[in-house]
Amino acid sequence: MNAFVIRRLLGAIPLLLGVSVLSFIFMQLAPGGPDTLLAKNGRMSQAQLEAIRHNLGLDEPVHVQLWKWITNLVQGDLGVSFSQQRPVRDVIFDVFPNTVYLMTVALTISLMVAVIFGIGAAVNQYGWFDNVTSFLAYFGLSMPVFWFGLMLQIMFAVKLGWLPSAGMRSATGGGTFDLIKHMILPALTLAIGSIGSWSRYLRSSTLEVLGQDYVRTARAKGLREQVVLIRHVLRNAMIPFLTVVAIDIPLYLTGAVVTETVFSWPGMGRLFFDSLTKRDYPVLMGILLLGAFLIVIGNLLADLLYALLDPRISLK
Amino acid sequence: MVRLIPEFRGAIDPESLDDINELIQARIDGGISRRQLVKRAAQIGIAAPVVGVMLHATSDMAYGKPSLGRDRAIVRMQTAGTKEVTGPTAPSGTPKEGGVLVASTIEEPDTLNPWITALVTGSDVLTGVFGGLMRYDSNQQIIPDLAESFEISTDGLIYTFKLRQGVTFHDGAAFTAKDVDATWKAIMNPDFTAYSQLGWDHIKTLDMPDDFTVVMNTTEAYAPFMAYISDPVSGAIISAAIFDKGPDYFRGDFGRAPIGTGPFKIDEWKAKEQIGLSRYDGYWGTKPKLDQIIYRINPDDNTQLVQLQTGEAQMAASSGSIGSSRLDEVLGYGTVDVYERPNMAWSHLDLKHVDFLRITKVRQALDYATPTQDIIDNIQKGRVVRAFADQAPITTVYATDITPRPYDLEKAKQLLTEAGLTQNGDGVWEGPTPTPSKDIDPNTDRGGPTKEFKMEFWYISGDSVTQQIAQVITQSWNSIGIKTEAKSEDVSTIWSPDGYQFNPDTMTACMYSWFNSNDPDNMYYWHSSQIPPDPTGAGGNAIAYFFPLNFQAKVDELTVAGAKETDPEKRKAIYIELQHLIFDETPVVFLWWSKDYSAVQPNIGGFWPSPFNRLLWNAQEWYVTE
Repeated sequence: MNAFVIRRLLGAIPLLLGVSVLSFIFMQLAPGGPDTLLAKNGRMSQAQLEAIRHNLGLDEPVHVQLWKWITNLVQGDLGVSFSQQRPVRDVIFDVFPNTVYLMTVALTISLMVAVIFGIGAAVNQYGWFDNVTSFLAYFGLSMPVFWFGLMLQIMFAVKLGWLPSAGMRSATGGGTFDLIKHMILPALTLAIGSIGSWSRYLRSSTLEVLGQDYVRTARAKGLREQVVLIRHVLRNAMIPFLTVVAIDIPLYLTGAVVTETVFSWPGMGRLFFDSLTKRDYPVLMGILLLGAFLIVIGNLLADLLYALLDPRISLK
Repeated sequence: MVRLIPEFRGAIDPESLDDINELIQARIDGGISRRQLVKRAAQIGIAAPVVGVMLHATSDMAYGKPSLGRDRAIVRMQTAGTKEVTGPTAPSGTPKEGGVLVASTIEEPDTLNPWITALVTGSDVLTGVFGGLMRYDSNQQIIPDLAESFEISTDGLIYTFKLRQGVTFHDGAAFTAKDVDATWKAIMNPDFTAYSQLGWDHIKTLDMPDDFTVVMNTTEAYAPFMAYISDPVSGAIISAAIFDKGPDYFRGDFGRAPIGTGPFKIDEWKAKEQIGLSRYDGYWGTKPKLDQIIYRINPDDNTQLVQLQTGEAQMAASSGSIGSSRLDEVLGYGTVDVYERPNMAWSHLDLKHVDFLRITKVRQALDYATPTQDIIDNIQKGRVVRAFADQAPITTVYATDITPRPYDLEKAKQLLTEAGLTQNGDGVWEGPTPTPSKDIDPNTDRGGPTKEFKMEFWYISGDSVTQQIAQVITQSWNSIGIKTEAKSEDVSTIWSPDGYQFNPDTMTACMYSWFNSNDPDNMYYWHSSQIPPDPTGAGGNAIAYFFPLNFQAKVDELTVAGAKETDPEKRKAIYIELQHLIFDETPVVFLWWSKDYSAVQPNIGGFWPSPFNRLLWNAQEWYVTE
């Protein structure tokens, strides 16, 4: 297995390089640059503008800029942010933990609810539980995230006043409990979409398992339904499900712009959007690279999990 | 029919008013005083009780109080529900000692280095953290800050500042003349990439006869000098020790945790969340009453408004001001008071001076064909002030004797005909354009190719009110035969080197808002030296990129004279002449001056929204009451 992991990681390197080059090219194609607004906005002289451009490395030809970026990258230097004038690594990792906290909570909620809904619906196929949870799943899938977030905000923060409306912590600071209070609404908003898709996926996966011979055998042997479910059905139904989850996780970690905007959560999504409008190329490249890396890891984890859980699969 | 929304037209001769409606309108517009109304009403034979009703009906609607001897027209038009700013807020209730105030904004500062920040939101914070040699008060007057007094030599070239003693920076270092010297040198040093050297670039040499005296020898008499170096942000004095740490530190770490001489110091900056400030006990001036100010950063106005509603945020002003389209919503919350104050931001349509747009009468026609007053009344709900030139109504140099052009489609067509255009079979105007050369007079020369009058109307995407206005104007221009197409892009794209400004083949108008500084100096917009050298170049006179303005020589002369003239009365006369020139020539179509709406909880005292200052300018006076 070690050989497998190493081979995959090595194979990721050209992939990540390819992603970097492509994203760099696409970004250069977008009109405007970080200096566009400076030329228009500041009462600055031509000489100053040139100095700033030179400082940001913008006066060099595009391929030179790309080469410099790549050579810096292999040395572990992600460059300096154009708008914040400090290392990209610091800019990203200032907000990355915030996204991790939020996503962890959202994922936990999604997982728990999706498992209950999914398996419960399959076991209760066409029954009331199935109908109710299916309805909720479709609702969660089709409803716009920002609308749901706003509704939660209006209901719980504005009308009832039970929870804070936005932000990660209170202005004057607070402990873990404060953090949890701030996390509830955005985590719920994020969870709703995943609950929808995952519960449906798990439901069909469970239905498939329930139709298998070995389940019938287990029941025939006289095992209690609960034991059948937990020892036989659950483990087998979870296999494909967990791989789906493992692939989804890195997508989450790059942040959810809409939810973070509605709840003013200081995370990766907002950073990405802000950098985009400001044309802050180094930060954008850093985030894209991070995202690509996480997806590689996610896929690797999915494959490893699959091999681990399903004895029929072996890694080559 | 009397127009209830006032429109300031300057003083009106009562003798010219002949019926009751004209009199009422004139009173509403602030053109005549109550006494004049009564007198003229009697002259034209209106019965006394009716006059009484007229007075009563217009008593609180007068546009301003243009006391005819005073030139400054202070705009006092009220929007129902908002309060007028007459001074700092003064709630009843006992002021508390200390306390925390949460102010909110909708954009995160890029950096807290006053020399490098390009955003208003940065200035909002920094104006309470740094000090300059002088600063502005709320009346556009320059008052002492780090300099106790100053003297200008009779030839206007030598400025001597006596510095305040006993001032310390937030790290305890003492402030002396060498800090001023180090600041100047660093600003002029391209390695430190200061964004604006305006003012400081006029200093030839700087002498320090002692630790608390600075003598600046300037290169020429330059009226805006004091204004440009007087600001706590754009003229922020930084400790010499900071510059010794080098440009990278200055641009990087110093911008995350700056050190100044202001009443508040930066505690910490939690990225994308908030900036925490606390009282600096060593401040030389009035000891701040608040313990802490938390500057809460929101991604957009929606999140900010929710927090105002729940009370999690107590103030939203300056960069966090309430947009006029959200005003009614905020007034409905009941948790905050909203204060209205005038602004230094003017909305306009910039016109690229190519082809027909080089001809004065054509530009005037576009002004006549733009339903500005209708837009102000119906879309902006009267919450902006009609503009006709580039000096703000609240400044001393505002020309009170110019009447903006009314919406008159026939007049527009007439002007187009006079300019030598004709309408073709489809009703679209066309005709010969001026020779595409810089050396001709476009008002007489028609040696260029014949073209159709087609325009692109650009606006910044993302705002539904802007889009509405763009559609109204586009539709109006189309209706008289100017084939106009509306286009929008985001801010970075629209002004990129590939943007509309640098495309020689299209006639374009672009709608956006521009911000004046406290000094009337406007060389940046109109002078020929400010024409960008290439699409990536700097300069505010981009409309003249392809061909200089047809009146460029005259505007160059006046803008330079205005910058040089140090006598205030003579200077004002120059800027008034300049406004007349700009109004007559209409290089851009002026739309309106906006208003600023600040929301603040009723128990906050000392808060004073000022058009000449950013948010924390008097934060040491702020307090909370029980």
